[in-house]
Amino acid sequence: MQQREEKQLEASVESLVTRVAHLKGSLQSFIYKLENEYERLTWPSVLDNFALVSGQLNTINKLLRNEKTPSYRSQVIIPLLLSPDRDEELAKLTEQRVPVFSHEIVPDHLRTKPDPEVEEQEKHLSAEAARIGPEVAQKQIQTLNKLCSNLLEKLNNPRDDRDSETSALRQNKPSFNPADTNALVAAVGFGKGLSKCRPPGPAAPGHPGQPMMSAGPTLHQVTVAGASGHQPGMGGQVNQQQPGQPGKMPSNIKTNIKSASASMHPYNR
Amino acid sequence: MEAPPVSVMPVTGGAINMMEYLLQGSVLDQSLESLLHRLRGLCDNMEPESFADHELVYLLKGQQGNPFLLRARRSLLHPPAPWHLRYLGQPEVGDKSRLALVRNCVDVSASHGLPEVLNEMGFRMDHEFVAKGQLFRKGGMKVVVSKLSRVLVPGNTENTEPLSLSYLVELSVLAPAGQDTVSEDMRSFAEQLKPLVHLEKIDPKRLM
Amino acid sequence: MGVTCVCQVPVSEGKSVQQTVDILHKKLEQLGAVKQGNFWVDCETYHATGNATGQPSKLLYVMHNSETPLSCMALFEGGPGLSADANFDVLMVKLKSHFQNAKGHKVESRGVRYRYCDFLVKIGTVAMSSSARGISVEVEYCACVIPGDCWNLMKEFMQSFLGSNTPELPTVFTSKAEGLSVPVDCMDTMSQYLELFGRVRKQQVLPGSGVR
Repeated sequence: MQQREEKQLEASVESLVTRVAHLKGSLQSFIYKLENEYERLTWPSVLDNFALVSGQLNTINKLLRNEKTPSYRSQVIIPLLLSPDRDEELAKLTEQRVPVFSHEIVPDHLRTKPDPEVEEQEKHLSAEAARIGPEVAQKQIQTLNKLCSNLLEKLNNPRDDRDSETSALRQNKPSFNPADTNALVAAVGFGKGLSKCRPPGPAAPGHPGQPMMSAGPTLHQVTVAGASGHQPGMGGQVNQQQPGQPGKMPSNIKTNIKSASASMHPYNR
Repeated sequence: MEAPPVSVMPVTGGAINMMEYLLQGSVLDQSLESLLHRLRGLCDNMEPESFADHELVYLLKGQQGNPFLLRARRSLLHPPAPWHLRYLGQPEVGDKSRLALVRNCVDVSASHGLPEVLNEMGFRMDHEFVAKGQLFRKGGMKVVVSKLSRVLVPGNTENTEPLSLSYLVELSVLAPAGQDTVSEDMRSFAEQLKPLVHLEKIDPKRLM
Repeated sequence: MGVTCVCQVPVSEGKSVQQTVDILHKKLEQLGAVKQGNFWVDCETYHATGNATGQPSKLLYVMHNSETPLSCMALFEGGPGLSADANFDVLMVKLKSHFQNAKGHKVESRGVRYRYCDFLVKIGTVAMSSSARGISVEVEYCACVIPGDCWNLMKEFMQSFLGSNTPELPTVFTSKAEGLSVPVDCMDTMSQYLELFGRVRKQQVLPGSGVR
């Protein structure tokens, strides 16, 4: 019977040791990455590392809570031999962290109670608690509860607001308009809806499938002025769109404009 | 001068056969801030570049066939900067397996004499507009959020009128032909902008 | 980038192109100029395949210069010019249905680059369809970008090895509306080469001359 329990204990310790080793390994590699590859490290991979560590911690917790795991609490460790000399075996087992099993370090490593200072503080707090009467304590508990619930309410409410806002955005207020998309794509694609620089000659109004979106009276005039005269209002950019020097090749300009107005719309094919 | 004999075209330099992969969408003015906020989070850690560009679209008509279209852009914020001349080929939209609009693309930086030279070459300005907005990057991907405006008096970029109550949103990548995997990255990035913006492969011909 | 002057030097009587070039090299070396690699300038001719108006169109010249190897210059004779990056060549390929390259009209100048203090001197053999057509000399005064400020100095330097062949102030500078006090740019050099190539193109083929 006892032998079976011992075996169980041994097995569970062994599996615990391997799990802890895994955890240690992933922590080490994560720390290495943080220290040496922080320039290339992307946020998603940092998150991956955190997820790995948290997963491993979870498995260890699950293992400890498992029914089959014997209670480690009931196991007692007694130091049988203390020595001020260096113990190579121990140093190897602890990766050089604990080279000596001496009087100095044993109380730290085998401690089952809190530190003396902590113990002192705890004693102080217990005394304090005993000093005030149960009624006062009850009152204090109530005040604290009230504060907490108030705070929780405050934290929860704006989240509701936010949620309703985004859901409203999603359902009632669309963030885009497909008709606008089409209009904009058509404008950058082939200038639909933009003032044409060619004169609206006799052929222009009859263009099938080419609604002159901007053909209001003022714009219309502007278009004509731009195509024939080209210059008034150009300000500092005079040299930009002159069709040749004026006066130099006047016949050329004229014919070109005529031909442009006479030919069909370029995209009518 | 008599017509000289014609032979094979020489190519001295430049990047040949670059493709632009493109997804487009739009966002309403009131949702712009949310989109910019999300882009700041998703894109490379840099301040988005603000820009204000004047785009002039030129056409060259031949005796037959389609006219040749070139886009010339200049920066209104940095007038001394070179002009940007761009050729875009016909989009290859037919292939359903492709997740983005793919078209041939040639980008040329040019000096300020560009409009004059284009005119001399026979190009005529067809239309113009002003685009103002911000540019975000994520790796090779470029996200441009811009407001398009009509130019009311030809050539006067001070006097403009917004085209709509939305901002144009374009996600694009330049890559050598055949690298279709980039469109998958673009798709997954576009997924992350939903439901704020739906970036789609839009065939402009469909809208004519 | 400084003020440049490009001129054509006639082939000495009774000498071949190469021999004349060698004489120029020798003169420069005697002056104390040091060889500093090679250079080349080329020029492709494009003509429009026909515009809608049916008018004869001007020829478009696309040039490259080893001094600005990542750039590409597009020019019209006496007209506007443009400097762009090398992708402009790719664009011309896309434009081939509208602009055709006249391969037979490709002109280039290749040769040796000399440095003499603040001057760069490039002696080139101008060739068309791999036959030598003439000699180009480019002198650049790297320390100044205002032609009016350094032309006399440049002229004096050129006289020291070109003698009576020393050119006048290039018209590209004199014809500028703003005068001689505006800074030069790379297009000024290219239009001078374009002018020179134009002259060479019209010239008769020199008898019995191959490149190098």
